[in-house]
Amino acid sequence: MADEGLAAHRREPIKSSVSNVAAHRRRKNAATVGKERRESLVRAKRLCRVGISGDTDVFLENDMMIDEEQSILEAQTSSAVEGLKSTVAYQGKGAMQKRVNALRELRRLLSRSEFPPVEASLKAGAIPILVQCLSFGSPDEQLLEAAWCLTNIAAGKPEETEALLPALPLLIAHLGERSSLSVSEQCAWALGNVAGEGEKLRNVLLSQGALLPLARMMLPNKGSTVRTAAWALSNLIKGPDPKAATELIRVDGLLDAIVRHLKKADDELTTEVAWVVVYLSALSNVATGMLVKTDVLQLLVERLATSNSLQLLIPVLRSLGNLVAGDPNTTHAVLVPGREITDHVIEVLVKCLNSENRVLKKEAAWVLSNIAAGSVEHKQLIYSSEAVPLLLRLLSTAPFDLRKEVAYVLGNLCVAPTEGDGKPNLICEHLVSLVGRGCLPGFIDLVRSADTEAARVGLQFMELVLRGMPHGEGPKLVEREDGIDAMERFQFHENEDLRNMANGLVDTYFGEDYGLDD
Amino acid sequence: MAMDVEEKEQLGFPYWKSVRRTFGPESPFFASGNVERELIAKQVALDLTEDEKNKLQNLVAKECGVFFCPIVGCGSRLTSLEDFEDHYNAQHTASCSICSRVYPTSRLLSIHVSEAHDSFFQAKVARGYAMYECLVEGCSLKFKSYKSRQQHLVDKHKFTTSFEFFKKAHSSKKQRQKLQRKQGTHKREEASCMEVENESIDGLVSAVSKLIQRDKRPDAT
Repeated sequence: MADEGLAAHRREPIKSSVSNVAAHRRRKNAATVGKERRESLVRAKRLCRVGISGDTDVFLENDMMIDEEQSILEAQTSSAVEGLKSTVAYQGKGAMQKRVNALRELRRLLSRSEFPPVEASLKAGAIPILVQCLSFGSPDEQLLEAAWCLTNIAAGKPEETEALLPALPLLIAHLGERSSLSVSEQCAWALGNVAGEGEKLRNVLLSQGALLPLARMMLPNKGSTVRTAAWALSNLIKGPDPKAATELIRVDGLLDAIVRHLKKADDELTTEVAWVVVYLSALSNVATGMLVKTDVLQLLVERLATSNSLQLLIPVLRSLGNLVAGDPNTTHAVLVPGREITDHVIEVLVKCLNSENRVLKKEAAWVLSNIAAGSVEHKQLIYSSEAVPLLLRLLSTAPFDLRKEVAYVLGNLCVAPTEGDGKPNLICEHLVSLVGRGCLPGFIDLVRSADTEAARVGLQFMELVLRGMPHGEGPKLVEREDGIDAMERFQFHENEDLRNMANGLVDTYFGEDYGLDD
Repeated sequence: MAMDVEEKEQLGFPYWKSVRRTFGPESPFFASGNVERELIAKQVALDLTEDEKNKLQNLVAKECGVFFCPIVGCGSRLTSLEDFEDHYNAQHTASCSICSRVYPTSRLLSIHVSEAHDSFFQAKVARGYAMYECLVEGCSLKFKSYKSRQQHLVDKHKFTTSFEFFKKAHSSKKQRQKLQRKQGTHKREEASCMEVENESIDGLVSAVSKLIQRDKRPDAT
């Protein structure tokens, strides 16, 4: 990936040498409404624009000349491919150097802008020739340049990535221990892009045995190779079939490596490893079970507490969330109320709720809601923490998707753990207090929304209030907040379940006799 | 979820269950976080500013954010949940100026007004004319009784048996309105709603509802 420490110090000259016009145009291109461009930016594939091995290429200066017309670029690409073909055919003196130079030229053309001339190169027949350049025994430089070209071809559109199929077995083969680090890393990058394309290609890679060599690349203690391998693996195991995730966690030494890497101060490495944990914990119960038995939870909580890097916080928080959601042991055995780690978890979740970022806030609320779905002691712990005043505020003021998650937390605090099919018991103390502190309007707002799930949650909470508030106060409170009005809306709602829920509540609590005693 | 029926309790109300919720890795729940991940990774290489990143995030989010109005027969395309409230207030709060019942379309409102407040309508019913229109727009069938129209809705248009076009207004409704007026804080739009104040109108309403009660005998066609 281009954002390495090694390349970082070279970024200064790039920025200062760019003319304002070129930079401006590049920015405009990046933020353009064009659907394809937008998609390329959020796709799980990454272009390799700066060398892994840190070769002192003059190319970096030329990189900024993006004023070239696309058609010129395409013509150059075609001729570069032709040139490469002829060097491969040539057997005479200096053949290897000629080949490497030709590859380098093609690679430069494919690394120049964020929209490389992939189509042109494919049309000119780049793949077969690149495959040839990957043959066993080829010199490292040749392998590196060929893999780099393939990396950027694979970062393109789906059909372009698929074009790499003939190259896959060789790319996988060069992941082995006998390859130089930079070659294996570049191959991992290319494979990461292929895996990022979709389920079909992922399955091809898995059946060709890509998992194990990539996993082994994660075992060493340091190096950018570990990071690239982790990223490629996160693309490879993301499913939806959980088999790969389960296979990965069973690789000898991998769990240990994950724990080691999560301790490191290297944010970028930890980020990619955290994403591996995200997918392991989301897809594989086996993996979740194994992870919960290690120090991983503790490490995740520590990183959440100390880091301010958004790109790190997102996967770390989500890993924590998946571990809490996926395995009852997490809350029953590890995050037990009374332990320091449990207090810390609440603290870091509050920190995330207080952050400015929507993703962190929403996912933190989700994690809290799952902890609040634990034992009565868990509910008491959260109820008496600093989370509640914050949650009450968010219920009124936050954007919709966050309000929904907050609703789940608050509601879970009011209801005892679910046992069997009976009507769940209320925790009256919590219900009365939260309603007293003004949470009811927020729930009624959810009832009014067009989102089925939110309306359902709102109606379920209203049932708790109507049933559980002491001295029959519930109906009056609901009425005061225009709750009856909100429920009557459902008479003509297309969702039958919601209609029945709302009608049921109105009939039961606001029937003919309601209000006659006033 | 469905419970045994207890006296006076809702049948099958899905009570709040305190349970853990999981999401698959590609669930829409995680979509913004996934987008954020890719944008941050590419941000440095592309020199995107925070502002551009936000714009991109919003563009991607908007594409998944489209949904349709859930009121029966409407289906209007709404771009955001905030839109829904405005849309609802503008399109679905046709309220009866006589009894304050609210209907989601002006057609249903006018059907209600005829059936509930028009003595001429009742007179024709009494003489055996088929006056009760089918509620589904485009189906031009008419029926001689409320009940038979109801049956038609269930049989032909798959309405649930629990659907009631003319729901008994809760006597509390008048109380509520009096209370609201006292408090002076209306959240509902009062634009199309005249307040029921006169004794005479009250009398009319109760007289009409008595008529309709009589109509609900099983032998009426």
